[in-house]
Amino acid sequence: MAIIELRTISFRYGAGTPFEKQALQNISLSVDRGDFIGIIGHTGSGKSTLIRHFNGLLRPDSGQVLVNNEDIWKNPRQIRSVRFQIGLVFQYPETQIFEDTVAQDIAYGPKNMGLDQETINQRVLEALHFVGLDDSYLDRNPFRMSGGEMRRVAIAGVMAMKPAVLVLDEPTAGLDPEGRRNLLKHLEQYRRKTNTAIIMVSHSMEDIAEHVQRVLVLDKGKTAFEGSVPSVFAHADELMQLGLDVPQMTKVLLGLKAKGYSVDTSAVTMDQAEHELLRLFERKDHE
Amino acid sequence: MTRDITVGQFLPGHSLLHRLDPRTKIVLTFVFIIQVFISRSALSLCFLIFVLGFLITCSHVPARKVFRAVRPMIPVIVFTALINIFYVDGDPVFHYSFIRITDKGLFVGFTLLVRLTALIAGCSLITYTTSLNALAAGLEQLLAPLKRFHFPVNELSMTLSITLRFLPTIAEEFDRIIDAQKARGADFSNGNLIKKIHAYFPIILPLFMSSFRRAFELTNAIECRCYQGGNGRTKMNVLRLSRLDVQAIVFFCAAFGLSIAFNLFFPSFF
Repeated sequence: MAIIELRTISFRYGAGTPFEKQALQNISLSVDRGDFIGIIGHTGSGKSTLIRHFNGLLRPDSGQVLVNNEDIWKNPRQIRSVRFQIGLVFQYPETQIFEDTVAQDIAYGPKNMGLDQETINQRVLEALHFVGLDDSYLDRNPFRMSGGEMRRVAIAGVMAMKPAVLVLDEPTAGLDPEGRRNLLKHLEQYRRKTNTAIIMVSHSMEDIAEHVQRVLVLDKGKTAFEGSVPSVFAHADELMQLGLDVPQMTKVLLGLKAKGYSVDTSAVTMDQAEHELLRLFERKDHE
Repeated sequence: MTRDITVGQFLPGHSLLHRLDPRTKIVLTFVFIIQVFISRSALSLCFLIFVLGFLITCSHVPARKVFRAVRPMIPVIVFTALINIFYVDGDPVFHYSFIRITDKGLFVGFTLLVRLTALIAGCSLITYTTSLNALAAGLEQLLAPLKRFHFPVNELSMTLSITLRFLPTIAEEFDRIIDAQKARGADFSNGNLIKKIHAYFPIILPLFMSSFRRAFELTNAIECRCYQGGNGRTKMNVLRLSRLDVQAIVFFCAAFGLSIAFNLFFPSFF
């Protein structure tokens, strides 16, 4: 059963003004527990608008957003409860930190849920560990920490609400390669351990290829492609035309294929490509 | 990208009012304000309404929008008008213990209602038809003569344009942080006043932090480009008065003169 489902949602900004703009058109998506889904698209393709529909920050002009098979806009007064089920981490989330200590900032979400102090403390610790920080961080001032650490604290702040789906808008933007790998590793572990579905917006095709199971490609507010990672990256030419890219490895394999080698171009990660290339060389040796 | 951000209420367009030089519009707005204040007789008031109607037609701004600008001021306008009804002397038309309403009071109250509405509606036209950047440029040019008296016009306009430039950015940031805290269950609608004010801390604090950070970055950028003062700096878009501006000025002078004439030759009955 889908935990969150978008049914042909459309959305316009500034309806009825000279600034009116169609931002989303007939987007559908279905997410199950434990899924890892990537959303890619050129700047202005509607990614940020789309993710604001997941937890009811924006209301679609038409179409439905279903969480556990219930329309989240059936009772607009209850929309706040949806936000605890669908955790949303914005771009550069470290800019939303406001408390003096890490523990207090992570506790903001759980506190808004109305949990008792003991549960809150337990969730704060849990969330802190999920992002790979230890207990010594609890009483530290987040504003004296590095950007990468602050980012992890901010993500922990959303994880502490124990959402069923965690949506992240470019979680690795502006991090160094080490911080990038680290964060993605922890997200992957978190997903495995808690069976939380993760939806990640990213500009890095490598990150998408490495971690994600399914990809949604947006172009000018419409679904350009949707499907498994290899099936989407098989449209390399079209993706390039949309101003997007394909993983380096896919490029290498596509290049080989263009030169007449019989390789399987559905390999998108380094490991898969290595495997594929070794197979190719072995075959050469035998000939 | 959160929502379309319109700072001020500029509606892009190509109407007569849109094409006027911002300097002309600023000066003529003041002329209009004075005209509102001198329109005291019934006839000059009618004429004022006519002028306002003409301006709204020229601006292509829907009348509905113009009067929406008046709406927030309605309590003030009504209150001012009511006070005048009760406090102006004349022949009483209604008398009950200490409440006295006079015919002259009613007239003054009514004219105030009309004049204040016209005042705000007229002033809103300039903000509807002029972008903030154009307004800032116009103001800078108008203030330029003050440079002789060592008034820091360039610095002032630099500050003004930086402020205007960053208003949308900060508004965007504000929206983004609100969304981020809402995503963590922030609640701005429930609870008493203290609770509501408290609910805004998680918005205001990060907003201040990022504004300071941005200010430091901007300072560095400005210093790296060796910016200092405005001596000898030229503009990319130089403002030029056109024939349209001359026509507008003539129109306003004529309207102003007519208002005075109406006041002199057709004074009110009171």
